[in-house]
Amino acid sequence: MSPVVRLLWFGGSVAVTALLVLLWQLIATYSGIPPVFLPGPDRAWNALVAGIGTGELTRLTWATVERMLYGWVLASMLGIALGALIGSSRRAREYIGPTLELVRPVPVSAFMPIVMAFLGLSGRMVLVVIAIGSIWPVLLATVHGVSNVEPRLLEVSRSLRFSRFQTLWKFALPNAQTDILAGMRLGLTVALVLAVIGEMLASEAGLGYHILTTARSYRSDQLFAGVILLGLIGLASNLVLQAIEWRVLRWRRR
Amino acid sequence: MDTNVAIAPRAAGDTAEPLIRFHNVSHSFGSRQIIDNVDFSVGRSEFVCLIGPSGCGKTTLLRMVGGLLTPSMGEVTYAGHRVDGPESDVAFMFQDYSKALLPWRTASGNVSLALEAARVPRAERAPRIEALLAKVGLSRHADHYPAQLSGGMQQRLQIARCLAQDPAVLLMDEPFGALDAMTRQALQDEMLRLIETSATTALFVTHDLEEALYLGDRVIALYPNPGRVAQIFDVKLPRPRNQLTSREDPEFLRLRREIFDFIREGET
Repeated sequence: MSPVVRLLWFGGSVAVTALLVLLWQLIATYSGIPPVFLPGPDRAWNALVAGIGTGELTRLTWATVERMLYGWVLASMLGIALGALIGSSRRAREYIGPTLELVRPVPVSAFMPIVMAFLGLSGRMVLVVIAIGSIWPVLLATVHGVSNVEPRLLEVSRSLRFSRFQTLWKFALPNAQTDILAGMRLGLTVALVLAVIGEMLASEAGLGYHILTTARSYRSDQLFAGVILLGLIGLASNLVLQAIEWRVLRWRRR
Repeated sequence: MDTNVAIAPRAAGDTAEPLIRFHNVSHSFGSRQIIDNVDFSVGRSEFVCLIGPSGCGKTTLLRMVGGLLTPSMGEVTYAGHRVDGPESDVAFMFQDYSKALLPWRTASGNVSLALEAARVPRAERAPRIEALLAKVGLSRHADHYPAQLSGGMQQRLQIARCLAQDPAVLLMDEPFGALDAMTRQALQDEMLRLIETSATTALFVTHDLEEALYLGDRVIALYPNPGRVAQIFDVKLPRPRNQLTSREDPEFLRLRREIFDFIREGET
């Protein structure tokens, strides 16, 4: 795409967002829904600015971001390590594969009571739940990427007399880069969702808990401010990961 | 094109002590026999071409020397011992260069792979990579990824990676089959020049009769289904070979006619 066309697309997407915000404002002002339930963007914005002004919302945002990142990094590291182990051995795939397929579809929410029983309603519990939930996309992507190396490359590796570990390190894991990054992107979305839910359940400080308490006290403008911040976290983290992909996968560009 | 490097003529035919030897080798995949009692040898510094129609098992034979495949009967020996896995000084050059290169490594990185395999210390790698890339004319493309290189350049890169192994034997599986005619001739000459200076032994698989005659000291013609040695031809053409004069040499034309008729008979 030429720069001009890209600029037009960007302008278009900004215009659509602006239109939706305007629509939201019109509905809030003229539909007669009480602002206690539906604040307009003006009120939400004011609450956002006020919250950031006192430092309260900034603190909560960081708490949630930190929780999300810790859980996600933990899940990614475990997912890549386990995935490499499982993916590089046919026997491991055959033995562990069925168990993975059995555990994977179980909703994380079903694991929550188990984790709570062990760790109580704590920050650690939230972290573990985030890790369990967001490990799957990374784990499965790694298994796929590691076990699907071009057969010719495996012959190159054999021909150069690389060990199993060297083959994994120099061939299989780089081959899985694309899959792993895609899996990590999915995992990050899951991590944000679970960070919010975990905070709500465990009453841990963060945007999730903030949204829950402001809803209970009918401070809907603050609630919406929190929701906006969550949206921004999602947007920002996706952009960062896209930039990382752009850098790491530069060999795929021509 | 630099094709006239003065090189002493090579010894043709089996020398007293062959470097590679097939001892009554047969091979089957399941119940299908691929190779039937193949027995020949390759001398040191000799250039031997295997030629034959598809299904004659020429690639299979090459893979046996490369230690990528163990024959179900008989054995292949290299330097006097039985081949039971890849040797560090035997380099394998694949036909499908785009699949044999690491797409996530630059040209330098791909050459580095062979040096890493040979446990060359990190500090010594850079100058050697530079020299190897210069040898194959890819110095300006050191930081390019394979996808950014043309087919001919990718195959040059694979040559550089093979040379990085400092090989005593170069096994080539139709390495130029997918290239256009001009690039193929250029690479034939570059490859000859590179291995002649280091006296490398070469086993070269092709289905292109003229290519086999142009490159080889001997051409081994194979029958298909199952693969057997049909006949061995000595190519007594002076070296260095030249794309024009070698191909117009009466001996070249005579051999071409002889093997051509032979292969055609074999196919009917």
